[in-house]
Amino acid sequence: MQLDGADGALDSWARFCALSDELFGGAGDLSAGPRLAPVVADLCARGLAALLRDHFLRSLEGIFRSNAVEKFWQQFHPYCSSSAVERIKFCVHENWPEDVLCRALEDICLEKSYQEKCVLALVHSLQSYEDRTPNRKSKSLDCSSSLMPRYQLMVSSVLLTTLPLSFPEILNVYFKKKLEELNIMMAGSDGNDPFGNHDLFERSNTSAWQSQMDIDGQEPVISESRNLVKNIGKVVRDLRYLGFTSMTEDAYSSAIIWLLKSKVHELAGDDYRIPVLGCVKKWIQAVPLKFLHALLTYLGDSVNNESGSSGLKSPLASRPSSFPGIGVPSEALVRWHMRLEYFAYETLQDLRIGKLFEIIVDYPESSPAIEDLKQCLEYTGQHSKLVDSFISSLRYRLLTAGASTNDILHQYVSTIKALRTIDPTGVFLEAVGEPIRDYLRGRKDTIKCIVTMLTDGSGGNTNGTGNAGDNLLEELNRDAENQENVDYDDHTNIDEKQAWLNAESWEPDPVEADPLKGSRNRRKIDILGLIVSIIGSKDQLVNEYRVMLAEKLLNKSDFDIDSDIRTLELLKIHFGESSMQKCEIMLNDLIDSKRTNSNIKTSLSRTSQIGTGHDVFDATIISSNFWPPIQTEDLTIPVSVDQLLSDYAKRFHQIKTPRKLLWKKNLGTVKLELQFEDRSMQFTVAPVHAAIIMQFQEKPSWTSKTLAAAIGVAVDSLNRRISFWTSKGVLTESVGPDADDHTFTVVDSTSDFSKNSTVNQLCERFQMAEDEGESSVASVEEQLRKEMTVYEKFIIGMLTNFGSMTLDRIHNTLKMFCIAEPSYDKSLQQLQSFLSGLVSDEKLEMRDGSYILRK
Amino acid sequence: MARGENNDSHGSGNVPAAATAAAPASAAGGGKQAGAEGQSVVRRLQSELMALMMGGDPGVSAFPEGDNIFQWVGTIAGSAATAYEGTSYRLSLAFPSDYPYKPPKVRFDTPCFHPNVDAHGNICLDILQDKWSSAYDVRTILLSIQSLLGEPNNDSPLNTQAAALWANQEEFRKMVEKLYKPA
Repeated sequence: MQLDGADGALDSWARFCALSDELFGGAGDLSAGPRLAPVVADLCARGLAALLRDHFLRSLEGIFRSNAVEKFWQQFHPYCSSSAVERIKFCVHENWPEDVLCRALEDICLEKSYQEKCVLALVHSLQSYEDRTPNRKSKSLDCSSSLMPRYQLMVSSVLLTTLPLSFPEILNVYFKKKLEELNIMMAGSDGNDPFGNHDLFERSNTSAWQSQMDIDGQEPVISESRNLVKNIGKVVRDLRYLGFTSMTEDAYSSAIIWLLKSKVHELAGDDYRIPVLGCVKKWIQAVPLKFLHALLTYLGDSVNNESGSSGLKSPLASRPSSFPGIGVPSEALVRWHMRLEYFAYETLQDLRIGKLFEIIVDYPESSPAIEDLKQCLEYTGQHSKLVDSFISSLRYRLLTAGASTNDILHQYVSTIKALRTIDPTGVFLEAVGEPIRDYLRGRKDTIKCIVTMLTDGSGGNTNGTGNAGDNLLEELNRDAENQENVDYDDHTNIDEKQAWLNAESWEPDPVEADPLKGSRNRRKIDILGLIVSIIGSKDQLVNEYRVMLAEKLLNKSDFDIDSDIRTLELLKIHFGESSMQKCEIMLNDLIDSKRTNSNIKTSLSRTSQIGTGHDVFDATIISSNFWPPIQTEDLTIPVSVDQLLSDYAKRFHQIKTPRKLLWKKNLGTVKLELQFEDRSMQFTVAPVHAAIIMQFQEKPSWTSKTLAAAIGVAVDSLNRRISFWTSKGVLTESVGPDADDHTFTVVDSTSDFSKNSTVNQLCERFQMAEDEGESSVASVEEQLRKEMTVYEKFIIGMLTNFGSMTLDRIHNTLKMFCIAEPSYDKSLQQLQSFLSGLVSDEKLEMRDGSYILRK
Repeated sequence: MARGENNDSHGSGNVPAAATAAAPASAAGGGKQAGAEGQSVVRRLQSELMALMMGGDPGVSAFPEGDNIFQWVGTIAGSAATAYEGTSYRLSLAFPSDYPYKPPKVRFDTPCFHPNVDAHGNICLDILQDKWSSAYDVRTILLSIQSLLGEPNNDSPLNTQAAALWANQEEFRKMVEKLYKPA
């Protein structure tokens, strides 16, 4: 090869430039290509290959920039330059980014592919030169083979540097719209849905799918969806061709995720009575996965990936997942599947956790939602999220002064049950339950509510609070069954077998478990145990139950205590025989009373022969040492009744020597009938009321002072009681000469009564309610309060002298110096609740952990 | 515990050991038995405490300090319509082991400007010295001191400046306030 100096080189260069310009401007005519070869060879021989290549690419770049790129972006200009509000209008437009995008992509791809041909022409020329000069191969090879990649790089860098900011947004909108379209298409064709119909796809495999894609026309939906996916596939391919691969991937994956999220929200909604997770999973397979599969297949990725991944198997791919209709899934698809499912779990979990409070309020009905949540959490492991969110909603919505103790307890029981499903080890329950328990400890009526819940279930009351009671009694029953089984096992070999089985099935606690609180105590989540431990000790609970039972038994007139015996038996199983002993004695008292009653009555009627009226009353004989303190009040009952009572007591003494019967005359119920001139009325009242009205048998009019003296009660308590009769229209009240001394007169005929009946009717209900408030047994609080007033004086005394004292110091000082009757025997906890009572009464103040007197 | 030791030391300090050991049976008959007497002082103080707590006299209060029932802290509020109105004085009361046959030692812990109280808080009050009787108790002591605040005995002053100033109640009040340091 000869070299003819600089002139020749210039000549060749000019010819090369002319030829390449012809090539670029040829508008599809590549005839200049073959003519390029000798010029190129000449220039290469002169060592100008690199210069030639650079020039060629630069020219191409200039042309591409001016011809294609500007035009391409121009298409999107109206959207990019508009304001946010106007953009929404674009999005609403049906065909909006689709038409523009397709057109623009088509144009630019055409331009690019033409330019690629030009590049190829040069590559060919270079190659033919290289083939002829093998000795220089190494250097030139670099030139020809690197030309194409450099061109590709040039194209994408030009596009990316001129990229408008909102282009990714446009892509996102495009994919969203397309996916929605696809989703609607799927939803609209339930049974015939090519993606959703499993039967169809279990038969067909990947190739069948592809062939169907091309030749289809029988089912409009199928072809429609195919076309849709094909269109999308084309857009994706074009975008990739231009070097937008990652941006495209981002755009459609975010669109899929967005669609999935809205689908989960749509399915889950606010209805907790239906399981949602299954639907969501089915939908993931039906829509996004099918779409992705079709897309990947269209792009040819899945095949590539499959062959590529056979060498290095990802652990994900080994997951046995068979998608109906897809056959063996590619690794990319498996990844997508897991990613989508995880996202679905997480979305649903967040949704449910946010509404957990409501879900638990509806608990037994909302168990499907709980079950869903459980599965989600198993997958995502974000239990701590649940704990934090639920605790804060509890604090905000339940543990407030406005919520009744019954509601809180009810919610607590539901929480226990619900969380028991989610997490049988009870770790999270422990975390969630603690704030509720702390709060309940501060409430005075907690014990009472718990006892009511435990015992009132059988009452069959249908209001809201009865519901919780039912649950607890049922819990008591179940617990009893369990315990019986355990007792039975204790004496047999089964126990050892069971123990071994238990030991074998041991599982470690979840990682979130508090290591300080060993795992033994949370093996079994025992609702009753949890409830009782709120109070601190079962003794307090038993005591409260005793008071309630006493109240109930004393107001009974028929000795029917079957349900109480049942409850007691259940409680005995739970709390142990010894702690329920007093209650058992109380019930036995009732049973004995019934027997003694009939015994005494028959013997009395035998001796006196005449009907003395002993059969008109029943006595409840109690062993007062075992009953809670009983309210006593002096009361003089009519002589005739008193005589009956003392006869009865005498007889009792004869039968049961050395025991003596002491009447509590203010307790019990009296059934009486009042006969007037023109009517008769029946009442069931307390003995006090009966004693009052019986006085009017002798004298139709009494002043309150004389009446009070006659029945042996204080005037103010008489006034309280007598209002019962005035409210019934039996008595009228008039102010006598002395302002304090009212006069009561019997209303003997209806005509008098009707005059003020309207007024009286109004207050009747109120009086009854107040009357019911009277109790025969001193409540636990009352007993405690009486003792505590002594302590209150001591506490005030010591705070006066010492200024401020901590709880501990008050407790210790009381223990040391308050030793006279009644000596101080309270727990620190009881003292604390008492002190907080004094604080709320504004007697004390709490500052920096110490109590001080409020000035 | 501390109380028990107290009794013992008191017993050995005042009573011949032989008599104590030899005549346990005669304790009821007037013979001084150490444990019984120590116990009775404690019991007396406890019942006084109970009475004081339940009595609820306004403006006077006292309570045993720490775990020792022989050492009390008292509080007296100045009576209305006196120069001490609105003040509250802290006192310390130390009961002897032969209380109530001997009076307790009472002194002001809060500085008190008063004709019968010196700079160290010592009080000149007849019933705390020669006029003491076992019929008095914590409550009457505290009430006496409270009334002493309003009606000082200017004939035998411990604080002559205060006694001199007493005639001018307005100035006196100013001095009380100036020297008063609430507990």
